[in-house]
Amino acid sequence: MSYARPHAGVQPVTHLWRKIPVSDLGFSSPTRLEDGKLSIDIDELTGLLQSDPNVREARLAIARPGESVRIIPVKDVIEPRLSLIPGVPVFPGVFSAWNPDVDGIASGEIVSLSGMVVTTVGSIVGFQEGLIDMSGPGARYSLFSGKLHLVLDVTVREGMGRHDHERTVRLAGLKASNYIAGSVMKHPPRTDIRETLVNPESPGSPASPGRAGGKGKPRIAYLYMLQSQGLLHDTYYCGVDVKTMPPRRILPTEALFGAILSGNCVSACDKNTTYHHQNNPILLDLLRRHGTDLEFAGCVITNENVTLGDKQRSSTLAAELVASLVPDGVIISKEGFGNPDADLMMNCSKIEAHGIKTVLLTDEFAGQAGASQSLVDTHPKADAIVSTGNANEVTVLPPMEKVIGDDRVITTLAGGSSKSRLPDGSIAIELQALIGSTNQLGFERLSSRFK
Amino acid sequence: MAKEIERAGIPVAHICSIITISQTVGANRIVPAVAIPHPLGNPRLPPGEEKEVRRNLVKKALAALQTTIQEQTVFS
Repeated sequence: MSYARPHAGVQPVTHLWRKIPVSDLGFSSPTRLEDGKLSIDIDELTGLLQSDPNVREARLAIARPGESVRIIPVKDVIEPRLSLIPGVPVFPGVFSAWNPDVDGIASGEIVSLSGMVVTTVGSIVGFQEGLIDMSGPGARYSLFSGKLHLVLDVTVREGMGRHDHERTVRLAGLKASNYIAGSVMKHPPRTDIRETLVNPESPGSPASPGRAGGKGKPRIAYLYMLQSQGLLHDTYYCGVDVKTMPPRRILPTEALFGAILSGNCVSACDKNTTYHHQNNPILLDLLRRHGTDLEFAGCVITNENVTLGDKQRSSTLAAELVASLVPDGVIISKEGFGNPDADLMMNCSKIEAHGIKTVLLTDEFAGQAGASQSLVDTHPKADAIVSTGNANEVTVLPPMEKVIGDDRVITTLAGGSSKSRLPDGSIAIELQALIGSTNQLGFERLSSRFK
Repeated sequence: MAKEIERAGIPVAHICSIITISQTVGANRIVPAVAIPHPLGNPRLPPGEEKEVRRNLVKKALAALQTTIQEQTVFS
């Protein structure tokens, strides 16, 4: 595997990230960005989405921070991006064939629209889809409450199975994201924020430092666990269903141009939407601190499977790949809950068996009172854990003036129940029904205290 | 549940896909199952073979219940 093109020598792959701020959204033709306001040609975008024969109707709506709006049930959240890297499309492998290992990935530019997202909703596909409140107490739990949303409410053709339904909505979100980013970049605005991200050297390259570096800085690797159990718990890497592939190393900035994307309709609180993958704070922090107070050794992605044998095989391979990066310590993030706790513990114990320290990021399901066992599996080596909150904690959300999507599903979402609706129109619901509330990549501020 | 039933004096065989979870939770007689979405069967097998898989799981669980153990035991 090579990260850089062969002629690139030992220079690390460097990506310039241009962030174009968006401060408002509206519908008018043509689609353009003027003085920070993104106007969207509703007919053109609706026509593009409805050109898919599986889409019966695509309705567009806008939600802004502070509005009395509830978006439900949310399937995915995407930040519009464009790749200006030669030969590398955004969302590689989805709309065109792509194999990052053939030619490697060149240095270049990635452009993103910041402050806005494309959010897909639609009739419920998986029982654990969740909601976003744009104001009120629910807004405290999600970074998405602070974003401008272009919401796609997609109705698919009748008689479609759940997996095709999910795929149709997923592709609609990506198409809308590409349409917006492409339209804006026809007349690129002058205002942008620029950041240069330098990837770690490919392991084994002459410039790659050894363990506990010559420079005395700790070498830190990242094991990025992706939910992939089928049954609508799926994640894709370069268009490939992650449950069908073995663990592998990735170029960390691949996540920025959408190499990892969500097809995950479950575990609202701790599933990673595509936005979470595009903006993974663990990857970004490690890239930003690489060469300063630490050396970023590299990133390995791995899956979470449904048989004991597959879990054992993936964790063994993941641990060997991580060890090949010769790190002093490893950060492991989990996605989902329940049986993925077993994957987490296998990854932890097998990496520790190589003599490498680990720290784990996980949320907890400790019951509404917070007194129950919070993970279904443990291991003595898992002695450094960062908790991202108790997903069973109950919160009361007042009614919103406007609902985008369909809030009748609220009692059937995981975290809701027939008792969720209160007489005054509020809902009492567990945090697990709020998109991203206990995200295990460290996006939010929740944690738990041991008493 | 396995622990509560055993506390009442009735031995339990826990048929479980991910045995590490069963071990952590504290079941004593553990029988590995097929997979999380289909613990007691395998829809990829022809019906005849699948019936055998299911029958063997039950037989293994019954044998586990009749086996004297001193510590957590996996009956694989």
